[in-house]
Amino acid sequence: MSKQTLVINPVTRIEGHGKITIHLDEQGKVADARFHVTQIRGFEKLCEGRPFYEMPSLMARICGICPVSHLIASAKACDAILATRIPTTAVKLRTILNLAQLVQSHALSFFHLSSPDFLLGMDSDPAKRNIFGLAEAHPQMARDGVRLRQIGQQIIEKMAGKRIHPAWVVAGGVNEPLPVATRDQILAVLPEALQIATKALDWFKTILDQFREEIRTFANFPTYFLGLVSPTGELEHYNGFFRVVDSRGNIVADKLDVLNYQDIIGEACEPDSYLKSPYYKPRGYPEGIYRVGPLARLNIADRCGTPRADQEWAEFRELDRGAVLSSFYYHYARLIEIIYGIERMEQLLQAPDILSKHVRAFAGTNNPEGIGVTEAPRGTLIHHYKVDDNGLMVWANLIIATGHNNLALNRGVLQVAKHFVNGEKLSEGMLNRVEAVVRAFDPCLSCSTHALGHMALQVTLLSPDGEVLDELKR
Amino acid sequence: MSQAVRVITLNMDGRDISARGDQTILQVARENNMYIPTLCHITGLSRVGSCRLCLVEIKGINKLLPACVTRVEEGMEVKLSSERLDKYRRSILELLFSERNHVCAVCVSNGHCELQNLAQKLNMTHVHFDYRYPRLPVDGSHERFVLDHNRCILCTRCVRVCDEIEGAHTWDMLGRGVNAQVITDLNQPWGDSETCTGCGKCINVCPTGALVEKGKSVREMTKQRQFLPYLTLMRERRW
Amino acid sequence: MSKARVATLWLDGCSGCHMSLLDMDERLLELAGKIDVVFSPLVDQKEFPENVDVALVEGAVSSDEDLEKIRKVRARSRLLVSLGDCAVTANIPSMRNPFTVKDVLDRAYVENVSLNPGAPKTDVPTLLAKARPIHEFVNVDVYVPGCPPSADTIYSVLTDLLEGKCPDLSSKTRFGA
Repeated sequence: MSKQTLVINPVTRIEGHGKITIHLDEQGKVADARFHVTQIRGFEKLCEGRPFYEMPSLMARICGICPVSHLIASAKACDAILATRIPTTAVKLRTILNLAQLVQSHALSFFHLSSPDFLLGMDSDPAKRNIFGLAEAHPQMARDGVRLRQIGQQIIEKMAGKRIHPAWVVAGGVNEPLPVATRDQILAVLPEALQIATKALDWFKTILDQFREEIRTFANFPTYFLGLVSPTGELEHYNGFFRVVDSRGNIVADKLDVLNYQDIIGEACEPDSYLKSPYYKPRGYPEGIYRVGPLARLNIADRCGTPRADQEWAEFRELDRGAVLSSFYYHYARLIEIIYGIERMEQLLQAPDILSKHVRAFAGTNNPEGIGVTEAPRGTLIHHYKVDDNGLMVWANLIIATGHNNLALNRGVLQVAKHFVNGEKLSEGMLNRVEAVVRAFDPCLSCSTHALGHMALQVTLLSPDGEVLDELKR
Repeated sequence: MSQAVRVITLNMDGRDISARGDQTILQVARENNMYIPTLCHITGLSRVGSCRLCLVEIKGINKLLPACVTRVEEGMEVKLSSERLDKYRRSILELLFSERNHVCAVCVSNGHCELQNLAQKLNMTHVHFDYRYPRLPVDGSHERFVLDHNRCILCTRCVRVCDEIEGAHTWDMLGRGVNAQVITDLNQPWGDSETCTGCGKCINVCPTGALVEKGKSVREMTKQRQFLPYLTLMRERRW
Repeated sequence: MSKARVATLWLDGCSGCHMSLLDMDERLLELAGKIDVVFSPLVDQKEFPENVDVALVEGAVSSDEDLEKIRKVRARSRLLVSLGDCAVTANIPSMRNPFTVKDVLDRAYVENVSLNPGAPKTDVPTLLAKARPIHEFVNVDVYVPGCPPSADTIYSVLTDLLEGKCPDLSSKTRFGA
């Protein structure tokens, strides 16, 4: 048998589109697998010449699922250019908005995108394995998912004016204080959200047994983990310091100022993908492979800081010695973060100063450079801007959450391919698993693939001279 | 304004209306709550008739005439709107949108913009012309204000208000056709201007997000226009 | 009565319009009873099918792959809806147009990189010189502006189209809504 290449194209629903190629050696075994991201919009250049305080709303348009994350990271970079420390109430309000988005985005990922796999099965009929099929077979689960996402979106709408791309977060704070009626409305829906989230987590734990093979093979390998933690080592999404742990759970870097992100994070280009590969600089490329996002955040934190989330987190950490390694457990970690988000929002909303009218600091262009770092649903998000004396943008560098996981995603696709792909015959199960490992990372290469059900895949088996040997379409 | 002016009658959109002989079609229409779209016109400043949105049909004349500068005459029959006029007005708006970079979604005047409001009011669904995508700068050199050439529609309201009301004449026009642009003084950065008094009138008369206050983020730039008629009145009484 | 065949697709966009579609919440599940979603990020289907009744397309045309896709969608759909400002006016993607493609790629893949600088050369589509709205390439039947258009707007467009009516959107949405 000679060497062959499988091409899975398109892997739809990854922002723009993605593609997977799998290279087979002479024995028909998988030698390499690559994940190609096939879209770029050029935000790092198109913002040039614009006043920096327009950036939050502009950068929100990077993503329609997590615009709030970009609003906040961008606003933090702008705060640094203003050289102001924004009012405490503004910090809390931005944090609440961020958490509402966390709830909404994780709900989308779990219920709308992944739960069909869990409930209908990884091998079930592709035509039904989506939110509509779910609504037919398991209506309560579908309703729960829609409701939980809706609650997150409605909180964003009430606080910020719009569900998607709101303009409330600005340089220096937020542009309106929180009315007392809004606060009360939000507090009123949180119990229902918590109930749905805990029910889902309890159920998910009972079905983990059915997915032992997936747990074993879905991007399950040692990597570093990176993210923000609070000054006291707790789970943190708005401020904090960088912490890096290794696969044994040992802290290798801690209390790092986010302004020095370039000391620990390098970016490498890939010849065949529009997504760059960040790596942990002290270890070099590609040994410095690391992961971010819910799994990573729960691996690096010492605790969550809210009651039910803490309990669940303690149980979660018992899955592995040291850090939890299988990317399948991203799903588990997401549910814990939803619970944390709801509990934390409640704590913040009950503080009396949440209603203060002082929510915005005003200043001019005082610093030529600003860096804003936050934890988006999918991982650490970095916005780094440079402006001229008049406050017009001259340069930007953005490291998007999913980007950090590029190396791990590639390796995960390779691992699944090696486990399931063999010889000349293509099987449906292989395609499902390859999609599912990508889905576990919940990539939002700006717009997550996973709206629901599957990605459309075509797998073509080519001989070295390009002759089509086998083809499978879904 | 002082000598006796005759009263005349004319017909607008089927209505018989009386008016003063020194009024324009636009003035008479507004007095009678009849709508004609405008952009370069603003009450209190001189009229230039440049945007052509106010073109109306007059019986017996085969040219369309701009209502803001055309005087009414006895027995005139004017049509303020028709299918033909609607089409031309939409085309004018589409040409404006395609000429420069009007990205409403992230503009500081989003929601408070006369160009945007007109597009919605006149049912402009999309731009038929190919967008030009010129590369245009933002002038952020002034301490308190910003000029964004990408949002400018060359209505010249800023030129007129600065000249006629403030008396500084900081703004003027450079170039012709599609290369025309507004400039400060002798085409210097606004922050270097020796004539600008920082009064902010140009900001407030600008219909779009071209002239705005520094620091206003997306959707935040609202304009205050109430001052203009009073200032005009004061000026007229003085002299 | 057979269900209407509806497809959704995104080109160079942020998926906000699709998220706004999901913001219809339970109305989406209701609509699912009346329509067959035959192609979408939301359901699985590999190849854009023939005989689509309504295709909702989000995003500007920015790469050669986008162009190929939109031509295929136009050929196989009865009604093509430009969904959102990126599709109707090219919006944010068009902000890269005053710059050259080389400058855009250099900023991302040469200036901001610590290892292996250089834009990808294989396995990825090529950027067109400018990102442009959909109707500059194919005929569009309905324009739904907004960034993104609200869920209510999208719901009213779908229900109008399903009833055979032409949606009148000027009172419901606008550019930058």
